[in-house]
Amino acid sequence: MSTGALQSKRVSPAERREWWLFLLLVGPNILLFAIFTYWPLLYNGYLSFVRWDMLAPVKMWVGLDNYRFLFSQPEFQLILFNTFYFTIASVLLTIVLGLLMALLLNQSLRGRNAVRSIVFSPVMLSGAAIGIVWIYIFDPRYGLIDALLGFIGLNSPNWLLDGAWAMPAVIIVHVWKTIGYAVVIYLAGLQAIPRELYEAVVVDGGGAWSRFRAVTLPGLSPVVFFLVLTTVLTSFQSFDIIKVMTNGGPVNATTTLVFYLYEEGFVAFNAGRAGVASVLLFGLMFAFTLVQMRYEDRSVHYA
Amino acid sequence: MTSATHLVQESKQTSTKVSKSATTHWVGHQQSLVGRTAAYLGLTLCVLLIGLPVYWMISGAFKTPQEIYSVPPTWIPSQPTLASFPKAWNSAPFGRYYINSFIVTLFGSGFEVFFAVTSAYAFAFLRFPGKRYVFLLLLAALMVPVQVTILPNYLTVARFGWINTYQGIIIPGASVAYGTFLLRQYYRTLPTEIMDAARVDGAGHVRTLVSVVTPLAKPAIVSFALLSIVAKWNEFLWPLIVTNTKEMRVLPIGIYWLMVEEGTIDWGVVMAGTIFVVLPVLIVFLYAQRYIVDGIAAGAVKG
Amino acid sequence: MLEKTISRRTLLKGMTVSAGVFALAACAAPVAPSAAPAGGAAAPAQTPVTVLLWSSFTGKNGETETELVKRFNESQSDVVIDYQFQGNYEETAQKVTAALQAGTAPDVSLLSDVWWFKFYLNRALLPLDDLLNAQGVDVNDYQDSLINEGVRKGVHYWIPFARSTPLFYYNKEKWAAAGLPDRGPETWDEFMEWAPNLAEMEGEEMKTAAFSHPDGASYIAWLFQPVTWQWGGKYSDPDFTMHMTDELTVAAGQFYKDTVHTYKWARPSKDVQADFIGGLTAAAMMSTGSMGGIKANATFEFGTAFLPKKDHFGCCTGGAGLAILSRTPAEKQSAAMQYIAYASSPESTAFWSQNTGYMPVRKSALELPDMKAYFDAFPQFKTAVDQLPLTQPQDSARVFVPNGDQIIGKGLERITVQAEEVATVFAEVQATLESEAQPVVEALRAVEG
Repeated sequence: MSTGALQSKRVSPAERREWWLFLLLVGPNILLFAIFTYWPLLYNGYLSFVRWDMLAPVKMWVGLDNYRFLFSQPEFQLILFNTFYFTIASVLLTIVLGLLMALLLNQSLRGRNAVRSIVFSPVMLSGAAIGIVWIYIFDPRYGLIDALLGFIGLNSPNWLLDGAWAMPAVIIVHVWKTIGYAVVIYLAGLQAIPRELYEAVVVDGGGAWSRFRAVTLPGLSPVVFFLVLTTVLTSFQSFDIIKVMTNGGPVNATTTLVFYLYEEGFVAFNAGRAGVASVLLFGLMFAFTLVQMRYEDRSVHYA
Repeated sequence: MTSATHLVQESKQTSTKVSKSATTHWVGHQQSLVGRTAAYLGLTLCVLLIGLPVYWMISGAFKTPQEIYSVPPTWIPSQPTLASFPKAWNSAPFGRYYINSFIVTLFGSGFEVFFAVTSAYAFAFLRFPGKRYVFLLLLAALMVPVQVTILPNYLTVARFGWINTYQGIIIPGASVAYGTFLLRQYYRTLPTEIMDAARVDGAGHVRTLVSVVTPLAKPAIVSFALLSIVAKWNEFLWPLIVTNTKEMRVLPIGIYWLMVEEGTIDWGVVMAGTIFVVLPVLIVFLYAQRYIVDGIAAGAVKG
Repeated sequence: MLEKTISRRTLLKGMTVSAGVFALAACAAPVAPSAAPAGGAAAPAQTPVTVLLWSSFTGKNGETETELVKRFNESQSDVVIDYQFQGNYEETAQKVTAALQAGTAPDVSLLSDVWWFKFYLNRALLPLDDLLNAQGVDVNDYQDSLINEGVRKGVHYWIPFARSTPLFYYNKEKWAAAGLPDRGPETWDEFMEWAPNLAEMEGEEMKTAAFSHPDGASYIAWLFQPVTWQWGGKYSDPDFTMHMTDELTVAAGQFYKDTVHTYKWARPSKDVQADFIGGLTAAAMMSTGSMGGIKANATFEFGTAFLPKKDHFGCCTGGAGLAILSRTPAEKQSAAMQYIAYASSPESTAFWSQNTGYMPVRKSALELPDMKAYFDAFPQFKTAVDQLPLTQPQDSARVFVPNGDQIIGKGLERITVQAEEVATVFAEVQATLESEAQPVVEALRAVEG
């Protein structure tokens, strides 16, 4: 930003002081992001074109080889599938169950506040600790789930060792841990709906269902948008639980893009493939956010 | 979403009262006995779904090894024992982990809060050419998963000579996008009259920030600070990678290794260890849950 | 206005606090190694050299290693070992790799059979012969099969420390309950006759398995390797020609698959050792290094035996050794070797192996009186030592191909856990191994000519 450019617009000294203050206040924050968030993105982009085991003194330029390699691997297609499986299932469960819980907890029921606290508490807990507790819970022989299934005469699947059940298991834990967040946001959204709207429906003779259809649901739509955005992003990034509970297995059944990125980068030391994975991951998240923001801008405009 | 912003405005001292009264007005009438029974059943179900795993963790910590491995599992420890706790405490330097977690959390959150307060002010009240794009640049950081940055950041931190140091753990995560966004939203809901009054009084921006905006935004700042504290306390992957002596490790890594070490051979000890990790956060939560919940809700209800 | 005066003070206070935050963070010094020598100028002769050691053991084995380090530090005053646990073998190697980048690598590191070669290829390991000579270490006293694995082009890089072999473990109570003789099966065919009596069903569910397979992370590729040899197959040749798709290798894989999915007396397990201790599997192949933990935790009598045969006998070595990183400063190199010599001395290896189950790496250790007494008291361990001379070095596909162990391990999981077609899976594994081996072949040519 050259001073010439500034002067050409006839900037007052007061305004210029404001710009400097802005830079002073925002600068350190942005600078840290530049070093520890944006530079790594660029560097990963570079790494995606080289072959490097993180030890060799030279990084060998291989062009698009890493991309070609990954997209030709059935394993990698499975990883993309897993990423979407985990994300979509987590988001749907969180959005729907969260709404049900929030509607319930919005009623004037005794003990409601205590239940809200309980529902929210897992959000606060360490993912590593939670993952460990759930390994014990999922144990097919002496775990909690087996005991519960025993009541209805069922045997527990071998959750974490069965290729078909491991993914549902980590999804359950992820949803269990994060649903309190959705409930809190739904509750805030519910409370923000003007009560006159409900009264209007009641005056018109509408029942609970029409209240829900005509007022609650439309009133919540911005909240749902927000929740879809945030839960997609957090599901995309979910790592601790998978690392602790399944380490991406059995075989690759719970290997998501983030986990693959970690494995290639810090376990297998294929910096190039880790680079490809991070470029993809960021690209996906970025595209999703853009779509979401556009849609939100157009469809919900308040205030 | 004007009603939400009003709520927020009024909520300076009375946020709890306001939100409570807002809900009780329109629900609660016309509820049949059946409806209420169903609602209470729903509440019970919520408590069980979310609470049982936590109960399982606690009861596991009090069971003897023999009881843990008995099939079928018992619901209540038949011979409750405290033996697992000293065993867990002695199998890893938990005292040191506590100190490290405390330091990392204190400074990590301190930076985040400071940056959030200052950056948000700049974005909310200062003029700057292309401010919108700077803000987007900041927000885009929300879309970069930590995992993506870890490999390049490790190299950067190594170049600074910060491996295995507190600043190595803290600084890369010191910048803040979510908190900036959150506080900016909140600042913008502050009554413009107050801002104008401050300006008429001749208060500069710095004074306005410190003596007008910050006190008014205290609930939001406290909320964000608590969220930040919880996030730092639970952070797993980065400290795992950037530390390599037991003197520098933090609690979530300690518990992860306790599990690796004790494995499925002594779940009681591992459960006791997870309690060490989650207990401080649960205490903070019980003490300050209103702030935490408000902070999360405020992020969603945007103006 | 009162508000304004306060604001000024608040502002100043705020600034001081935040400046303090910066200052504190900047000053937060790296935690010094616990026994760092203090200002050495005054008495250089008495200042001990601190050597940083990274290692991987937990539980009983970790306690024993800590004790070994403590004994070393107390035995002399020239060298202080700063011992740091870094996670399992894989995590330790990851830390070393990352630390080499950062210039914060340890002086001595434990490196497992599948990792030391990568560091050698990148010229990150110090040739040890001069140091060995200087310390007067008799390399001929090491078990030949173990020490020779760490030799490239006649030069020693990797000294055996926690070396192990697979071993057949069985639960004597379950054996007795099934009316079996108190010994391991001679052959897999014999075990196939015994196994149905060992597996206990509870309705549809298998309560006790006759045998259990670990997952890739728990080194199934290591334990399956001798099985391929017993069938007459192998993973690869030393020149990196792959043999995963050979008929006999596939036949061995088919056997593993059948134990779970056809005969249904074996099952995959996340933690075979815990299952064995918990009585959930009657037998298993496990590392000799698991013996210390099993002995300490099992509530029943257990026996050990040579691996069963098929057409041949086959057993591999494994475990980890110690190496000095090539960036270790000259003045620390001999101190580092002093510790390695101590840790692998006959007396130390006797102490270490008796407490952990790892192999005594020195021939003369077997002649020590307390070792002989231990063999009498604990014949299970004697079995493991007797099997040692029969072992062979491992296939290059597992130990020299980057992540070869995990590539094969994941393939084996697909067979044991997901019941996929053996020939298809092995063909894919072979293709992956071949493409991953290529850079190694090139690097080897550059390093060794």
